[in-house]
Amino acid sequence: MAAPVDPITVSVIQHRLLAIVEEMGEAMLRTSYSQILNSSRDFSTAICDLKGRLIAQAEHVPIHVGALPWAARSVSDFFAGDIHKGDVFLLNDPYHGGNHLPDLTAFVPIFADGKPLYWSINRAHQSDIGGATHGGYNAAATEIWQEGIRIPPLRLYERSKIRRDVMDMIAANVRHPRDFRGDLEAMIGSTHIGERRMLALAAEFGWPITLAAIEAVLDGAERQTRAVIARWKDGVYKGEAILDDDGHKFKDVHIRATVTKAGSSLKIDLSDSHKQVIGFINSSFPNMRSACAVALSYLIDPHTPKNDGTFRPLEVIAKPGTVVWANEGAAVTLATSHCAQEIMEAIIKALAPACPDRAMAGWGRRFRIAISGKDPRNGRKFIWHLFEARPGGGATSAGDGWPGAGEWNGAGGVKFGSLEVTEVRFPLFFRRHECRTDSGGDGQYRGGPGGSLELVVETAEPALGNTAGDGVRYGACGILGGEDGLPHRYILRSGKRRPRTIKTKEVGIVIRPGDVFNIESGGGGGWGNPAKRKKEARDRDVKNGFVKAKRAQPRRPRRRLHASGSR
Amino acid sequence: MYRIGIDVGGTFTDLVAVDEIGQTTLTKTASTPEDPSIGVMAGLNSLAEALKLDRIRLFSTTERIVHGTTVATNALLEHKGARVGLLTTDGHRDVLEMREGLKDDRYNLRMPAPEPLVPRARRLGVRERIRADGRVQTKLDRISLNRAIAQLKRDKVEAVAVCYLHAYRDAKHERATADALEKRMPGAYVSLSSDVFPQIKEFERVSTTVVNAYVGPALSRYLGRLAERLSEAGYRGPVLIIQSHGGVAPIVEASRLAAGAVLSGPAGGVAGSRYAAKLLGEGNLIPFDMGGTSTDICLIVDGEATLATDRKIGSHRVALNSLDIVSLGAGGGSIGRVDAGGILHVGPESAGAVPGPACYGRGGTAATVTDANLVLGYLDPQHFLGGRSKLDREAAEDAIDRLAVQLGVARVAAAEGINRVVSTNMSEGIRLVSVRRGVDPRRFALLAFGGAAGLHVTDVARQLGLSRVVVPRVAAVLSAWGMLTTNLRFEVARTHIGNAGALDGIATKRLFAEMADEARTRLAAAFDGPVRLQHSVDMRYGEQIFEINVPLDDVDWGATNPLPQIVERFHRRHEALYTYAMRDQEAVLVNARVVAIGVLPDLPQEPSLPAARATEMRGERKIYLGGWLTVPVYDFDCLTQSQAIIGPAIVESAMTTVLLGASDRAEVTPLGWLDIDVPVLHEQP
Repeated sequence: MAAPVDPITVSVIQHRLLAIVEEMGEAMLRTSYSQILNSSRDFSTAICDLKGRLIAQAEHVPIHVGALPWAARSVSDFFAGDIHKGDVFLLNDPYHGGNHLPDLTAFVPIFADGKPLYWSINRAHQSDIGGATHGGYNAAATEIWQEGIRIPPLRLYERSKIRRDVMDMIAANVRHPRDFRGDLEAMIGSTHIGERRMLALAAEFGWPITLAAIEAVLDGAERQTRAVIARWKDGVYKGEAILDDDGHKFKDVHIRATVTKAGSSLKIDLSDSHKQVIGFINSSFPNMRSACAVALSYLIDPHTPKNDGTFRPLEVIAKPGTVVWANEGAAVTLATSHCAQEIMEAIIKALAPACPDRAMAGWGRRFRIAISGKDPRNGRKFIWHLFEARPGGGATSAGDGWPGAGEWNGAGGVKFGSLEVTEVRFPLFFRRHECRTDSGGDGQYRGGPGGSLELVVETAEPALGNTAGDGVRYGACGILGGEDGLPHRYILRSGKRRPRTIKTKEVGIVIRPGDVFNIESGGGGGWGNPAKRKKEARDRDVKNGFVKAKRAQPRRPRRRLHASGSR
Repeated sequence: MYRIGIDVGGTFTDLVAVDEIGQTTLTKTASTPEDPSIGVMAGLNSLAEALKLDRIRLFSTTERIVHGTTVATNALLEHKGARVGLLTTDGHRDVLEMREGLKDDRYNLRMPAPEPLVPRARRLGVRERIRADGRVQTKLDRISLNRAIAQLKRDKVEAVAVCYLHAYRDAKHERATADALEKRMPGAYVSLSSDVFPQIKEFERVSTTVVNAYVGPALSRYLGRLAERLSEAGYRGPVLIIQSHGGVAPIVEASRLAAGAVLSGPAGGVAGSRYAAKLLGEGNLIPFDMGGTSTDICLIVDGEATLATDRKIGSHRVALNSLDIVSLGAGGGSIGRVDAGGILHVGPESAGAVPGPACYGRGGTAATVTDANLVLGYLDPQHFLGGRSKLDREAAEDAIDRLAVQLGVARVAAAEGINRVVSTNMSEGIRLVSVRRGVDPRRFALLAFGGAAGLHVTDVARQLGLSRVVVPRVAAVLSAWGMLTTNLRFEVARTHIGNAGALDGIATKRLFAEMADEARTRLAAAFDGPVRLQHSVDMRYGEQIFEINVPLDDVDWGATNPLPQIVERFHRRHEALYTYAMRDQEAVLVNARVVAIGVLPDLPQEPSLPAARATEMRGERKIYLGGWLTVPVYDFDCLTQSQAIIGPAIVESAMTTVLLGASDRAEVTPLGWLDIDVPVLHEQP
C-alpha cells in the first residue's frame, strides 16, 4: 500500500500526528470527572497500528510510553478478525498488556477501506479500581486479586452499541461508579476524536500517502535516536539500583542492568535482577519495557517524537520470575513508580560514563501518605493524599536539580496544589512547608532540595494512614562522582508517645487527634565531582540556606553502598 | 476634539489621533527604550505636525490619551526589575521557588530550574499565622517583623512584597507590616498580597505580588516621568494606561497595580479586534497577529475577548485576569531546520530583527519563513514594506538551497515545505487553543494582521476548515482604534469560600455591595461618566479542583437570599461548558468578583471609501502555488468598495502582502478591508 512520498509531506504529517494525539489529550482534560485526571493529568493518548507499533503519543505520562504497544498487541491478538467499526475495547490487566490495574486503557479501531489499521488509544489512571484499599495502592497485597478488578481485553461497545451488562459489572466493582463512568466516557470521547482526526488526515492526503508518510515518520525518529546514541562511547556498562524493601520479607531488592552500547544500538539486560518479591513493587512485563523506554527517552533529545522508530535501537532482555518481570498473579500496583524508577536508575547509572552530559543524577523516590478520617467541622469522612513535600530533582551537566519537583517518572508533572485550599477542605494545619536544608546530593552540580513539612492532624477521633513508596534507606543516586541525596525521613509525633518513624509500605497507621507529622523528603542526586563545584555556587547555597555552612565543604568521597557506572 | 492612542513597541512608537468625525491620522517614530517617554513626546510633535497644529494647540484640543506600554513587561522578561525582598509567614518562604512541584517540558530533565525573582536569602519568614477560617493562630510578632525589616534594609531592597497565608481572609497582619515598612523603609515600593490579589491559593498570590513589586518601581517611575513631561507641555486631560485585561486605568492605579500591565502589549490588538468584530457584525473572531518571531492568537466570542487567570509571562505566574492571548512560536523570522531524522521543522527559533531573514541582507544565513515566501514569489524584493527596504533574493535562495540539500529536494520544494509546515503549525495551534477553550474553530472568522499574516492566513483557514478571513487595511490603525474604544475597568475580587448551601445569603449580598462600593470609589477618582457593574463568582463542585467563572448579570439582588439564584447559574454554566451539571453535589463558592466599567463614548466611525471605478490590477507576478503561475497584483490602498478579487492573486500594501489561493474570493468592504471567502476543500468530520 505504501507509495513514494516527499519529505515535505512527511514533515507535515508528523506535525499533524502530534497535534492529533495532543487534541485527544485536551478533550480528555476538559471532560474527565476525577481530580487525578483533570488536575494531575495522569493519562496518555496515542495512536498505535494493529501490529502494536506506536505511531504517535502525546507527552503526558512518561511511564505510559512504550507500554501501550503491548496493550495494543494484546487487544489485536485477542480480537483478531473480529474488530468492527464502532467497537470500543478496554483493558487494564498487567498480565495482558497493562502497566498496573488503576491504569485503564480504551481502544477504538480506525478503518481504512473496510480494514482496521490503527488503534486510537487513551490510558487513564482511575481514582479507584476496586480491591482491598481505596485507590488501588495496597501495601499489604500479596497477590493481584487484592489490588482491584482485572480486565483482560474486553469489548465494551459492539458496533457502536454499549454492552450495558458488561459496563455495569465493571462499575459495580469500583468505589466511585459515577466518576468511573464519567471518566470512561471522557476517555472514549477522546479516542473518537483521534479516530476522526486520523480519518480526516487520510481524506486529505489519501491512505497510500498517509501510510507511506507514517512509515517515514517512524524511520525518521529512529534515525534521530540513532544519531544521538552513535555519539556515545561504545562499551559494556553496568548499573545497579536498590529498593529499600517490598513491605514484606524482602530487603535490598536490587535491579541490575548490563547495557551494551555498540554503534547506534543499545542492549539492556536486566536478567541479573532480584527474584520476584511478595509486595506490590513487582513489575509487569509491559511496565518494565516502559521503564526502559523512559530511560532512553530521558537520554535522547527531549523533543524526539515518541514512536516505534524511537525505540527500535533498543533491545531488552529480562527473565520471568524476577522483580522486573513477575509471573502472573503477583502484586504490582506500585511498580509504575517503584520498581520502574529503579529500572531507569540502573540503566541511566550504567550509561552515565558513556554520555555524561546527557545523564542526570537520580530524582527522589515517591513516598506518599493517604489519611482517611472524619472532619470534625462537618462530620464528613475525608480521604487526603499527600502530594506536598516532594523530593528533589537530580542534577545534570546543565545545572543544579529542581527543588521539590518530585519523582523521576513524573519529573515535575504533578502539581501539589494549594495548602490554603487544603486547610479549608481538610482538618489539617500546615506549620511548615519549605525546602529541606542539606538534602540535595553534593556534586559539581547539586541535587535539588526535597521538601520539609510539618503537619498537624486536627481530627476529633483517630484517623488512619496508608503509605506507598520507597527511599528511606536509599536516597536518589548521585552520578559521575556526585553524592546521593538524603533519603526520606517521615516521623509521627503523638502526644507524649515516642516519635515513630513511618515506613514506606504501611497499612492502617493510627493517627490520633492533634498528632504531628514531620515529613522530610529526600533530595535529588548530585552530578559530577563535588571538588569541581564552583566557590560562588557553594557561597550562594550557604547564603540561601540550601546548605548549612558546616556542610558547604566537599566531603571526602565515602564508600558507596552500591557500585555505579563501572565499565 | 482629538483622542490620541500611543502604542510603544520595541522598535517603533505608533501614534494615532482620531477626531470627532472619525478622521484618523497616524504617525510612527523610533522608540527610545532607555526612557520611552522621550519617544512619546517626539511622536506627539510629529503627530501635531501631521495635523498641521502646534503642540500646545493639539494638547488643548485633546480630550484623552490612551497609552500602551511594555515597560513592565520588559523589566520582567529582561530581568531588569527592582531588588525585591519578600516577607512571608514563618515556615512558608519557599512557595515562590517550589512552584507547586511543576516543571514544563516533560522529557527535558536537563533544563535548569528558573531563577526566582526573589532569591531565598531575601525571602524572610515572619512569625504570624491566620487560620483558614480567619481566626488568628499566632499574632504578628513585632520582634520577628523588625528583625526581618532590618535585614531587608541591610540588603538594600527597593521594593518589598508581603504575602502571608490566608491574608485574603484577613489583611490585618499584612497592613500592620505595611505600616512598619513605611516607618522604617520610607520610599520602598510595598506590595501586599491582600491588595494586589486578595484570593485564596498562595502560589498564585505570592507570585503575582512579587511580580508587582518587581516591576512596580520601574513602571511608576516611567509613568511619573511621562505625566510630568505631558503636564509641562501643557496637557491637562487624562492619561489612561491599557491593562492586561484589555481595559484602561489612570496612571495612579496603573502604578499601584503594576502587575496588571505586564500583559498589556498585545492588548491594543485584541481591543482592535473586538472593535473589528463590531464593525463586521461577526461576533466570533480569531485575531491572527503574525509578527517576526511569533503569532499571537486569541478568541473573540460573541463580540467579547475571553479572559484567563492562568497566564505566565516568561516563567512567572501572574494570576490577575488577563486577555487570553496565546503565542505560537511561528513568525516571519522563524527558522527552518532539518532534524537528524530528516524531518523539517520551522521555529520556534527565530532570526528575529537582527540578523533577520537571510533576504534582509544583514548577515542572516538561516532559511526563514520570509526567505521561503520570497523564493515562492509571494514577496516583491523591490517593494517590500512599500519599497522602504529591498530584499536580497539571492541570499534567500542560498539559504533555502542549503536546507533543500539536507532534505534532498529542489529549492522550490524546500521553500514550499517551510510554508506548509509553518501553516500547519499555526492551524494546529489554533485548533488546540480553541479545543482547550471548548469551541469549534470552524464557527469563527480569522482576522489577519501583523506584517506576515496575509501570506499564511488563507492557507491556515483552509486547513482549519474555516471559510471567512478578514484583512483590515492598516493593522496599526486597528490596534490604536482598539485602545481608543476601550473602557475604564476596575476589578475587585475577594475570596468568599464555602458551600453555597451553607453560606449566609445576607453576608454574601453585603460582600458584593462592599466590593461594588470599592470599585465605584476607585473609578470615581478618575472618571465621572456612566458606570456599569458586572458581578460574577468562581465556583466548583465539592470534589473538583478547578473553579469556573459564572457571570451573575441577571441575578435579582433585591432577593433576601441571592444564593439559590447563584447556584442555579453555576449549574447552567457548568452544563454549557462541560455538557453536564451535578445538581445533587454541593456547589462551592470560592471567589466573588465585581468589575466596574467606566463607559467611554463610542469612537466615531471612519468614513467609508469613496465610491469610484474599480481599480485595475497594478501588475503581475510569477508565484509558486503547486506550480508556477502568473497572477495579478493589486494595490491594497487603491481598492474600491465592493470590488471583488478572485484568487489566485496578490494584494499588496506598504504594511502587508495578502495571498489569495486558487478559488479564494475577496470582496472589498466599505472601509477598504478584504473580506475573503475561502472554500472548504476537505469535508472535516
